[in-house]
Amino acid sequence: MDDGRNADDDQAHKAFGRQGGRTSPEDRFEPANKILFEQAMAQTRMAVCLTDPNQQDEPIIFANRAFRELTGYRENEIIGRNCRFLQGPGTDPEKVKAIRQAIDKEEVIVVELLNYRRDGTTFWNALHLGPIYGDDGRLLYYFGSQWDVSNVHTARSDEAHAKTLARELSHRMKNMFAVIGGIVAITGREMGAQTAAKKINDRIQALGRAYEPTLDEASVGSIDVGSAIRSVLEGYPQQKDRMILEGNGMRGNPSIVATLGIVLHELTTNAIKHGALSEDGGTVRVHWAEADGVETLLLDWHEDAVEQGARATPTTGSGLGIVDAILGKARGKLHRDWLPGGLHARLVLPLSAEKQA
Amino acid sequence: MNEAQNTSPASRASRRVLLLDDEVFLLLDLEMTFEMEGFEVLTATNCSEALKLLENAAVDVAVLDVNLGQGRTCAAVAEELTGQGVPFLLHTGDLDRRGELLRDLSGVIIPKPSPSEVVVAEASALL
Repeated sequence: MDDGRNADDDQAHKAFGRQGGRTSPEDRFEPANKILFEQAMAQTRMAVCLTDPNQQDEPIIFANRAFRELTGYRENEIIGRNCRFLQGPGTDPEKVKAIRQAIDKEEVIVVELLNYRRDGTTFWNALHLGPIYGDDGRLLYYFGSQWDVSNVHTARSDEAHAKTLARELSHRMKNMFAVIGGIVAITGREMGAQTAAKKINDRIQALGRAYEPTLDEASVGSIDVGSAIRSVLEGYPQQKDRMILEGNGMRGNPSIVATLGIVLHELTTNAIKHGALSEDGGTVRVHWAEADGVETLLLDWHEDAVEQGARATPTTGSGLGIVDAILGKARGKLHRDWLPGGLHARLVLPLSAEKQA
Repeated sequence: MNEAQNTSPASRASRRVLLLDDEVFLLLDLEMTFEMEGFEVLTATNCSEALKLLENAAVDVAVLDVNLGQGRTCAAVAEELTGQGVPFLLHTGDLDRRGELLRDLSGVIIPKPSPSEVVVAEASALL
Protein backbone atom coordinates (compact mmCIF):
# COMPACT_ATOMS: atom_id res chain seq x y z
CA MET A 1 0.00 0.00 0.00
CA ASP A 2 1.16 3.47 -0.84
CA ASP A 3 -0.39 5.86 1.68
CA GLY A 4 1.04 8.95 0.01
CA ARG A 5 -0.62 8.13 -3.28
CA ASN A 6 -3.99 7.60 -1.63
CA ALA A 7 -3.76 10.98 0.03
CA ASP A 8 -3.01 12.55 -3.37
CA ASP A 9 -6.04 10.87 -4.87
CA ASP A 10 -8.19 12.23 -2.06
CA GLN A 11 -6.87 15.70 -2.67
CA ALA A 12 -7.61 15.45 -6.36
CA HIS A 13 -11.19 14.33 -5.74
CA LYS A 14 -11.83 17.27 -3.43
CA ALA A 15 -10.34 19.73 -5.90
CA PHE A 16 -12.36 18.42 -8.86
CA GLY A 17 -15.48 18.24 -6.76
CA ARG A 18 -15.29 21.93 -5.96
CA GLN A 19 -17.56 23.54 -8.49
CA GLY A 20 -19.08 27.01 -8.37
CA GLY A 21 -21.60 28.92 -10.47
CA ARG A 22 -19.32 30.40 -13.13
CA THR A 23 -19.59 29.63 -16.81
CA SER A 24 -16.26 28.15 -17.88
CA PRO A 25 -15.47 24.68 -16.50
CA GLU A 26 -11.74 25.37 -16.39
CA ASP A 27 -12.34 28.37 -14.11
CA ARG A 28 -13.75 26.05 -11.53
CA PHE A 29 -10.48 24.46 -10.62
CA GLU A 30 -7.43 25.56 -8.74
CA PRO A 31 -4.71 26.63 -11.18
CA ALA A 32 -2.80 23.33 -10.77
CA ASN A 33 -5.91 21.28 -11.35
CA LYS A 34 -6.91 23.48 -14.23
CA ILE A 35 -3.69 22.46 -15.97
CA LEU A 36 -4.40 18.84 -15.08
CA PHE A 37 -7.92 19.16 -16.50
CA GLU A 38 -6.65 20.71 -19.70
CA GLN A 39 -3.94 18.08 -20.03
CA ALA A 40 -6.36 15.25 -19.42
CA MET A 41 -8.91 16.66 -21.85
CA ALA A 42 -6.26 17.24 -24.49
CA GLN A 43 -4.67 13.83 -24.15
CA THR A 44 -7.64 11.52 -23.72
CA ARG A 45 -8.70 9.65 -26.82
CA MET A 46 -12.26 9.88 -25.56
CA ALA A 47 -14.14 12.66 -27.33
CA VAL A 48 -15.67 14.86 -24.64
CA CYS A 49 -17.96 17.87 -24.73
CA LEU A 50 -19.90 19.88 -22.18
CA THR A 51 -23.17 21.62 -22.87
CA ASP A 52 -24.88 24.35 -20.88
CA PRO A 53 -28.48 23.40 -20.09
CA ASN A 54 -29.06 26.88 -18.64
CA GLN A 55 -28.65 28.59 -22.00
CA GLN A 56 -31.14 28.71 -24.85
CA ASP A 57 -30.98 25.40 -26.89
CA GLU A 58 -28.24 23.92 -24.68
CA PRO A 59 -25.17 24.90 -26.68
CA ILE A 60 -21.81 23.14 -26.47
CA ILE A 61 -19.47 25.28 -24.40
CA PHE A 62 -16.48 22.97 -24.43
CA ALA A 63 -15.15 20.26 -26.77
CA ASN A 64 -11.77 18.59 -26.48
CA ARG A 65 -9.29 17.73 -29.21
CA ALA A 66 -10.53 14.15 -29.57
CA PHE A 67 -14.05 15.50 -30.18
CA ARG A 68 -12.74 17.77 -32.95
CA GLU A 69 -10.74 14.92 -34.49
CA LEU A 70 -13.67 12.51 -34.32
CA THR A 71 -16.15 14.89 -35.92
CA GLY A 72 -13.80 16.83 -38.21
CA TYR A 73 -15.21 20.19 -37.09
CA ARG A 74 -13.06 23.10 -35.92
CA GLU A 75 -13.60 24.53 -32.46
CA ASN A 76 -15.35 27.69 -33.69
CA GLU A 77 -17.77 25.48 -35.63
CA ILE A 78 -18.64 23.52 -32.49
CA ILE A 79 -18.89 25.99 -29.61
CA GLY A 80 -22.29 27.60 -29.31
CA ARG A 81 -24.14 24.94 -31.30
CA ASN A 82 -26.51 22.24 -30.07
CA CYS A 83 -25.15 18.67 -30.42
CA ARG A 84 -27.78 17.77 -32.98
CA PHE A 85 -25.57 19.09 -35.78
CA LEU A 86 -23.90 15.65 -35.62
CA GLN A 87 -27.15 13.94 -36.59
CA GLY A 88 -28.22 13.17 -40.13
CA PRO A 89 -30.82 11.38 -42.22
CA GLY A 90 -29.63 7.92 -41.04
CA THR A 91 -29.84 8.77 -37.34
CA ASP A 92 -32.58 6.84 -35.56
CA PRO A 93 -35.20 9.38 -34.36
CA GLU A 94 -36.21 7.00 -31.54
CA LYS A 95 -32.72 7.21 -30.08
CA VAL A 96 -32.71 10.99 -30.39
CA LYS A 97 -36.02 11.01 -28.53
CA ALA A 98 -34.51 8.81 -25.80
CA ILE A 99 -31.65 11.29 -25.41
CA ARG A 100 -34.11 14.18 -25.22
CA GLN A 101 -36.10 12.42 -22.49
CA ALA A 102 -32.99 11.59 -20.49
CA ILE A 103 -31.86 15.22 -20.59
CA ASP A 104 -35.30 16.44 -19.51
CA LYS A 105 -35.28 14.03 -16.58
CA GLU A 106 -31.62 14.77 -15.80
CA GLU A 107 -30.78 11.09 -16.17
CA VAL A 108 -27.62 9.36 -17.34
CA ILE A 109 -27.99 7.66 -20.70
CA VAL A 110 -25.75 5.53 -22.88
CA VAL A 111 -26.96 5.16 -26.43
CA GLU A 112 -25.51 4.13 -29.78
CA LEU A 113 -26.48 6.28 -32.70
CA LEU A 114 -25.33 7.04 -36.19
CA ASN A 115 -23.56 10.42 -36.37
CA TYR A 116 -22.15 12.44 -39.24
CA ARG A 117 -18.72 14.02 -39.56
CA ARG A 118 -18.06 17.39 -41.15
CA ASP A 119 -17.23 15.66 -44.47
CA GLY A 120 -20.57 13.81 -44.44
CA THR A 121 -19.14 10.39 -43.57
CA THR A 122 -20.88 8.50 -40.79
CA PHE A 123 -19.72 6.73 -37.64
CA TRP A 124 -21.43 4.76 -34.89
CA ASN A 125 -21.24 6.83 -31.75
CA ALA A 126 -21.51 5.25 -28.32
CA LEU A 127 -22.76 8.37 -26.61
CA HIS A 128 -22.66 8.68 -22.84
CA LEU A 129 -24.58 11.62 -21.41
CA GLY A 130 -24.90 12.69 -17.82
CA PRO A 131 -25.73 15.76 -15.73
CA ILE A 132 -23.11 17.60 -13.68
CA TYR A 133 -24.34 19.37 -10.58
CA GLY A 134 -22.78 22.14 -8.52
CA ASP A 135 -22.24 22.02 -4.75
CA ASP A 136 -25.66 23.59 -4.34
CA GLY A 137 -27.31 20.77 -6.33
CA ARG A 138 -28.04 23.03 -9.26
CA LEU A 139 -27.68 21.50 -12.75
CA LEU A 140 -24.63 23.16 -14.28
CA TYR A 141 -23.64 21.16 -17.32
CA TYR A 142 -24.36 18.17 -19.37
CA PHE A 143 -21.34 15.96 -19.91
CA GLY A 144 -21.12 14.05 -23.16
CA SER A 145 -18.52 11.50 -24.18
CA GLN A 146 -18.44 10.13 -27.71
CA TRP A 147 -16.79 6.88 -28.73
CA ASP A 148 -16.52 5.66 -32.28
CA VAL A 149 -17.80 2.05 -32.19
CA SER A 150 -18.13 1.58 -35.95
CA ASN A 151 -15.71 -1.36 -35.84
CA VAL A 152 -17.84 -3.02 -33.15
CA HIS A 153 -20.86 -2.59 -35.38
CA THR A 154 -19.00 -4.15 -38.29
CA ALA A 155 -17.92 -7.05 -36.09
CA ARG A 156 -21.51 -7.55 -34.97
CA SER A 157 -22.80 -7.69 -38.53
CA ASP A 158 -19.95 -10.06 -39.44
CA GLU A 159 -21.06 -12.28 -36.57
CA ALA A 160 -24.67 -12.15 -37.71
CA HIS A 161 -23.51 -13.08 -41.21
CA ALA A 162 -21.50 -16.02 -39.87
CA LYS A 163 -24.55 -17.23 -37.93
CA THR A 164 -26.74 -17.09 -41.03
CA LEU A 165 -24.10 -19.02 -42.92
CA ALA A 166 -23.79 -21.66 -40.18
CA ARG A 167 -27.57 -22.10 -40.16
CA GLU A 168 -27.70 -22.49 -43.92
CA LEU A 169 -24.83 -24.99 -43.76
CA SER A 170 -26.57 -26.94 -41.02
CA HIS A 171 -29.76 -27.04 -43.05
CA ARG A 172 -27.95 -28.20 -46.16
CA MET A 173 -26.06 -30.86 -44.25
CA LYS A 174 -29.26 -32.28 -42.80
CA ASN A 175 -30.75 -32.22 -46.25
CA MET A 176 -27.73 -34.06 -47.60
CA PHE A 177 -28.07 -36.74 -44.94
CA ALA A 178 -31.77 -37.00 -45.76
CA VAL A 179 -30.97 -37.46 -49.46
CA ILE A 180 -28.34 -40.10 -48.64
CA GLY A 181 -30.96 -41.84 -46.51
CA GLY A 182 -33.38 -41.72 -49.43
CA ILE A 183 -30.85 -43.21 -51.84
CA VAL A 184 -29.93 -46.00 -49.42
CA ALA A 185 -33.60 -46.87 -48.83
CA ILE A 186 -34.41 -46.84 -52.55
CA THR A 187 -31.37 -48.98 -53.34
CA GLY A 188 -32.28 -51.38 -50.53
CA ARG A 189 -35.76 -51.87 -52.01
CA GLU A 190 -34.33 -52.25 -55.50
CA MET A 191 -32.10 -55.09 -54.32
CA GLY A 192 -34.50 -56.68 -51.88
CA ALA A 193 -32.19 -55.77 -49.01
CA GLN A 194 -34.46 -53.53 -46.97
CA THR A 195 -33.15 -54.83 -43.65
CA ALA A 196 -29.53 -54.08 -44.52
CA ALA A 197 -30.56 -50.70 -45.94
CA LYS A 198 -32.40 -49.87 -42.74
CA LYS A 199 -29.38 -50.74 -40.60
CA ILE A 200 -27.07 -48.66 -42.79
CA ASN A 201 -29.52 -45.78 -42.71
CA ASP A 202 -29.90 -45.80 -38.94
CA ARG A 203 -26.12 -45.61 -38.55
CA ILE A 204 -25.82 -42.84 -41.11
CA GLN A 205 -28.56 -40.83 -39.45
CA ALA A 206 -26.90 -41.22 -36.03
CA LEU A 207 -23.73 -39.90 -37.62
CA GLY A 208 -25.66 -36.95 -39.03
CA ARG A 209 -27.02 -36.10 -35.60
CA ALA A 210 -23.55 -36.31 -34.08
CA TYR A 211 -22.19 -33.84 -36.64
CA GLU A 212 -25.13 -31.50 -36.54
CA PRO A 213 -24.34 -29.46 -33.38
CA THR A 214 -20.70 -29.10 -34.46
CA LEU A 215 -21.47 -26.86 -37.42
CA ASP A 216 -22.26 -23.66 -35.59
CA GLU A 217 -18.75 -23.31 -34.32
CA ALA A 218 -16.85 -25.05 -37.08
CA SER A 219 -14.38 -22.17 -37.15
CA VAL A 220 -13.23 -22.86 -33.60
CA GLY A 221 -11.50 -26.07 -34.66
CA SER A 222 -12.90 -28.17 -31.84
CA ILE A 223 -16.39 -29.36 -31.05
CA ASP A 224 -18.65 -29.41 -28.01
CA VAL A 225 -18.67 -33.10 -27.12
CA GLY A 226 -21.65 -32.85 -24.76
CA SER A 227 -23.85 -31.38 -27.51
CA ALA A 228 -22.84 -34.16 -29.90
CA ILE A 229 -23.71 -36.85 -27.32
CA ARG A 230 -27.08 -35.29 -26.57
CA SER A 231 -27.87 -34.80 -30.23
CA VAL A 232 -27.27 -38.48 -31.01
CA LEU A 233 -29.17 -39.84 -28.00
CA GLU A 234 -32.12 -37.48 -28.37
CA GLY A 235 -32.71 -38.91 -31.85
CA TYR A 236 -34.73 -41.86 -30.56
CA PRO A 237 -38.05 -40.16 -29.81
CA GLN A 238 -39.68 -43.30 -28.39
CA GLN A 239 -36.91 -43.59 -25.79
CA LYS A 240 -36.96 -39.92 -24.82
CA ASP A 241 -38.11 -40.28 -21.23
CA ARG A 242 -36.14 -43.43 -20.61
CA MET A 243 -32.68 -42.11 -21.31
CA ILE A 244 -31.25 -39.93 -18.57
CA LEU A 245 -28.47 -37.76 -19.90
CA GLU A 246 -26.01 -36.25 -17.45
CA GLY A 247 -22.92 -34.47 -18.60
CA ASN A 248 -21.07 -31.24 -18.98
CA GLY A 249 -19.68 -29.72 -22.12
CA MET A 250 -16.12 -30.43 -23.11
CA ARG A 251 -14.07 -29.71 -26.18
CA GLY A 252 -12.87 -32.42 -28.48
CA ASN A 253 -11.33 -32.88 -31.88
CA PRO A 254 -13.96 -32.99 -34.66
CA SER A 255 -12.55 -36.37 -35.71
CA ILE A 256 -14.14 -38.08 -32.68
CA VAL A 257 -17.66 -37.19 -33.82
CA ALA A 258 -18.11 -40.16 -36.14
CA THR A 259 -16.85 -42.59 -33.49
CA LEU A 260 -19.18 -41.15 -30.86
CA GLY A 261 -22.13 -41.27 -33.26
CA ILE A 262 -21.66 -44.92 -34.12
CA VAL A 263 -20.81 -46.10 -30.58
CA LEU A 264 -23.81 -44.38 -29.00
CA HIS A 265 -26.10 -45.55 -31.78
CA GLU A 266 -25.04 -49.19 -31.39
CA LEU A 267 -25.38 -49.03 -27.60
CA THR A 268 -28.87 -47.61 -27.97
CA THR A 269 -29.91 -50.07 -30.65
CA ASN A 270 -28.61 -52.91 -28.49
CA ALA A 271 -30.55 -51.63 -25.48
CA ILE A 272 -33.73 -51.33 -27.53
CA LYS A 273 -33.34 -54.83 -28.95
CA HIS A 274 -31.91 -56.79 -26.07
CA GLY A 275 -31.34 -54.51 -23.09
CA ALA A 276 -33.16 -52.27 -20.65
CA LEU A 277 -35.05 -50.41 -23.37
CA SER A 278 -36.59 -53.64 -24.69
CA GLU A 279 -39.00 -53.81 -21.76
CA ASP A 280 -41.43 -51.45 -20.09
CA GLY A 281 -39.97 -49.34 -17.33
CA GLY A 282 -36.32 -49.97 -18.14
CA THR A 283 -34.04 -46.96 -18.27
CA VAL A 284 -30.56 -46.01 -19.36
CA ARG A 285 -28.47 -43.50 -17.45
CA VAL A 286 -25.70 -41.92 -19.47
CA HIS A 287 -23.14 -39.91 -17.56
CA TRP A 288 -20.06 -38.34 -19.09
CA ALA A 289 -17.12 -36.23 -17.97
CA GLU A 290 -13.59 -35.46 -18.98
CA ALA A 291 -10.88 -37.50 -17.23
CA ASP A 292 -8.66 -35.17 -15.25
CA GLY A 293 -5.77 -33.82 -17.22
CA VAL A 294 -5.60 -36.43 -19.93
CA GLU A 295 -8.04 -35.05 -22.53
CA THR A 296 -10.09 -38.21 -22.51
CA LEU A 297 -13.84 -38.71 -22.50
CA LEU A 298 -15.24 -41.06 -19.88
CA LEU A 299 -18.82 -42.05 -20.60
CA ASP A 300 -20.75 -44.41 -18.38
CA TRP A 301 -23.71 -46.27 -19.84
CA HIS A 302 -25.84 -47.84 -17.14
CA GLU A 303 -28.86 -49.84 -18.16
CA ASP A 304 -31.43 -50.42 -15.48
CA ALA A 305 -33.80 -53.21 -16.40
CA VAL A 306 -36.86 -54.01 -14.32
CA GLU A 307 -36.71 -57.74 -14.95
CA GLN A 308 -33.42 -58.31 -13.18
CA GLY A 309 -31.33 -60.99 -14.78
CA ALA A 310 -33.53 -61.42 -17.81
CA ARG A 311 -31.30 -59.36 -20.07
CA ALA A 312 -27.97 -60.07 -18.51
CA THR A 313 -26.33 -62.05 -21.28
CA PRO A 314 -24.58 -60.42 -24.18
CA THR A 315 -26.00 -61.43 -27.52
CA THR A 316 -24.06 -62.10 -30.65
CA GLY A 317 -24.78 -59.79 -33.54
CA SER A 318 -25.49 -57.07 -31.03
CA GLY A 319 -23.82 -54.52 -33.30
CA LEU A 320 -21.04 -54.01 -30.79
CA GLY A 321 -18.58 -55.65 -33.18
CA ILE A 322 -18.35 -52.51 -35.27
CA VAL A 323 -17.93 -50.54 -32.05
CA ASP A 324 -14.85 -52.50 -30.99
CA ALA A 325 -13.38 -52.25 -34.48
CA ILE A 326 -13.79 -48.47 -34.62
CA LEU A 327 -12.59 -47.91 -31.07
CA GLY A 328 -9.50 -49.97 -31.86
CA LYS A 329 -8.59 -47.41 -34.51
CA ALA A 330 -9.48 -44.45 -32.30
CA ARG A 331 -7.35 -45.77 -29.40
CA GLY A 332 -10.51 -45.95 -27.34
CA LYS A 333 -12.14 -48.73 -25.39
CA LEU A 334 -15.60 -49.89 -24.41
CA HIS A 335 -15.53 -51.86 -21.15
CA ARG A 336 -18.63 -53.95 -20.69
CA ASP A 337 -20.12 -55.57 -17.64
CA TRP A 338 -23.28 -57.55 -18.15
CA LEU A 339 -24.88 -57.13 -14.74
CA PRO A 340 -28.26 -58.53 -13.61
CA GLY A 341 -29.87 -55.11 -14.10
CA GLY A 342 -28.48 -54.76 -17.60
CA LEU A 343 -25.37 -53.60 -19.38
CA HIS A 344 -22.95 -51.34 -17.55
CA ALA A 345 -20.48 -50.02 -20.06
CA ARG A 346 -17.69 -47.47 -19.82
CA LEU A 347 -16.48 -45.73 -22.94
CA VAL A 348 -12.96 -44.32 -22.80
CA LEU A 349 -12.19 -42.14 -25.80
CA PRO A 350 -9.28 -39.74 -26.36
CA LEU A 351 -10.59 -36.24 -27.14
CA SER A 352 -7.69 -34.95 -29.21
CA ALA A 353 -6.18 -36.12 -32.46
CA GLU A 354 -2.68 -36.23 -30.95
CA LYS A 355 -3.86 -38.72 -28.38
CA GLN A 356 -5.48 -40.77 -31.10
CA ALA A 357 -2.41 -40.86 -33.32
CA MET B 1 -54.09 -61.77 -38.59
CA ASN B 2 -55.74 -62.64 -41.89
CA GLU B 3 -58.72 -60.53 -41.07
CA ALA B 4 -56.58 -57.53 -40.36
CA GLN B 5 -54.67 -57.99 -43.59
CA ASN B 6 -57.87 -58.31 -45.52
CA THR B 7 -59.51 -55.22 -44.16
CA SER B 8 -56.62 -52.79 -44.04
CA PRO B 9 -55.78 -52.55 -47.78
CA ALA B 10 -59.38 -51.66 -48.50
CA SER B 11 -59.43 -48.89 -45.95
CA ARG B 12 -56.00 -47.70 -47.03
CA ALA B 13 -57.00 -47.50 -50.68
CA SER B 14 -59.10 -44.45 -49.98
CA ARG B 15 -56.20 -42.53 -48.45
CA ARG B 16 -54.43 -39.99 -50.64
CA VAL B 17 -51.29 -38.15 -49.62
CA LEU B 18 -49.62 -35.10 -51.17
CA LEU B 19 -45.82 -35.00 -50.93
CA LEU B 20 -44.00 -31.72 -51.54
CA ASP B 21 -40.19 -31.71 -51.59
CA ASP B 22 -37.62 -30.20 -53.92
CA GLU B 23 -35.29 -33.18 -53.39
CA VAL B 24 -36.40 -35.86 -55.84
CA PHE B 25 -34.63 -38.67 -53.99
CA LEU B 26 -36.58 -37.92 -50.83
CA LEU B 27 -39.74 -37.66 -52.86
CA LEU B 28 -39.09 -41.04 -54.45
CA ASP B 29 -38.23 -42.73 -51.14
CA LEU B 30 -41.31 -41.28 -49.44
CA GLU B 31 -43.51 -42.16 -52.40
CA MET B 32 -42.36 -45.82 -52.29
CA THR B 33 -42.87 -46.01 -48.55
CA PHE B 34 -46.34 -44.46 -48.65
CA GLU B 35 -47.33 -46.72 -51.54
CA MET B 36 -46.18 -49.77 -49.59
CA GLU B 37 -48.59 -48.67 -46.88
CA GLY B 38 -51.38 -48.53 -49.42
CA PHE B 39 -51.53 -44.78 -49.96
CA GLU B 40 -52.29 -43.15 -53.27
CA VAL B 41 -49.46 -40.66 -53.69
CA LEU B 42 -49.33 -37.28 -55.40
CA THR B 43 -45.92 -35.63 -55.62
CA ALA B 44 -44.80 -32.08 -56.32
CA THR B 45 -41.40 -30.38 -56.26
CA ASN B 46 -42.72 -26.82 -55.96
CA CYS B 47 -45.71 -24.90 -54.66
CA SER B 48 -47.43 -24.18 -57.96
CA GLU B 49 -47.31 -27.85 -58.92
CA ALA B 50 -48.72 -28.78 -55.52
CA LEU B 51 -51.49 -26.17 -55.71
CA LYS B 52 -52.45 -27.40 -59.18
CA LEU B 53 -52.70 -30.96 -57.85
CA LEU B 54 -54.88 -29.76 -55.00
CA GLU B 55 -57.22 -28.04 -57.47
CA ASN B 56 -57.90 -31.34 -59.20
CA ALA B 57 -57.90 -33.81 -56.33
CA ALA B 58 -58.75 -33.86 -52.67
CA VAL B 59 -56.05 -35.28 -50.37
CA ASP B 60 -56.38 -36.70 -46.88
CA VAL B 61 -52.98 -35.68 -45.58
CA ALA B 62 -49.79 -33.99 -46.80
CA VAL B 63 -46.06 -33.93 -46.06
CA LEU B 64 -44.48 -30.56 -46.84
CA ASP B 65 -40.80 -29.75 -47.04
CA VAL B 66 -40.59 -26.27 -45.50
CA ASN B 67 -37.66 -24.78 -47.42
CA LEU B 68 -37.95 -25.33 -51.12
CA GLY B 69 -34.72 -23.65 -52.11
CA GLN B 70 -33.77 -20.10 -53.03
CA GLY B 71 -35.79 -18.69 -50.17
CA ARG B 72 -39.04 -20.29 -51.29
CA THR B 73 -41.18 -22.04 -48.70
CA CYS B 74 -44.23 -24.26 -48.57
CA ALA B 75 -46.33 -21.51 -46.96
CA ALA B 76 -48.79 -21.14 -49.87
CA VAL B 77 -49.55 -24.86 -49.87
CA ALA B 78 -49.81 -24.94 -46.07
CA GLU B 79 -52.38 -22.13 -46.22
CA GLU B 80 -54.39 -23.90 -48.91
CA LEU B 81 -54.41 -27.12 -46.88
CA THR B 82 -55.38 -25.27 -43.72
CA GLY B 83 -58.24 -23.67 -45.66
CA GLN B 84 -59.38 -27.13 -46.82
CA GLY B 85 -59.04 -28.57 -43.33
CA VAL B 86 -56.42 -31.10 -44.48
CA PRO B 87 -53.83 -32.09 -41.83
CA PHE B 88 -50.16 -31.94 -42.81
CA LEU B 89 -46.64 -32.61 -41.57
CA LEU B 90 -43.88 -30.02 -41.88
CA HIS B 91 -40.75 -31.89 -42.80
CA THR B 92 -37.76 -29.66 -42.09
CA GLY B 93 -34.10 -29.73 -41.20
CA ASP B 94 -34.25 -26.16 -40.04
CA LEU B 95 -35.95 -26.33 -36.67
CA ASP B 96 -34.49 -22.94 -35.79
CA ARG B 97 -37.14 -21.45 -37.98
CA ARG B 98 -39.74 -22.62 -35.51
CA GLY B 99 -39.71 -19.08 -34.20
CA GLU B 100 -40.38 -17.64 -37.60
CA LEU B 101 -42.29 -19.30 -40.41
CA LEU B 102 -43.18 -22.49 -38.56
CA ARG B 103 -44.96 -20.56 -35.86
CA ASP B 104 -47.38 -19.22 -38.45
CA LEU B 105 -48.05 -22.63 -39.96
CA SER B 106 -50.22 -24.99 -38.00
CA GLY B 107 -48.76 -28.33 -39.13
CA VAL B 108 -47.05 -30.97 -37.04
CA ILE B 109 -43.26 -30.64 -37.30
CA ILE B 110 -41.15 -33.67 -38.11
CA PRO B 111 -37.39 -33.23 -38.10
CA LYS B 112 -35.42 -33.92 -41.24
CA PRO B 113 -33.81 -36.37 -41.70
CA SER B 114 -36.26 -38.94 -40.34
CA PRO B 115 -36.62 -42.45 -41.76
CA SER B 116 -39.45 -42.54 -44.29
CA GLU B 117 -41.23 -45.19 -42.19
CA VAL B 118 -41.41 -42.66 -39.36
CA VAL B 119 -42.76 -40.00 -41.71
CA VAL B 120 -45.46 -42.39 -42.92
CA ALA B 121 -46.34 -43.36 -39.33
CA GLU B 122 -46.61 -39.70 -38.28
CA ALA B 123 -48.72 -38.87 -41.33
CA SER B 124 -51.01 -41.84 -40.66
CA ALA B 125 -51.44 -40.65 -37.09
CA LEU B 126 -52.97 -37.41 -38.41
CA LEU B 127 -55.76 -39.24 -40.20
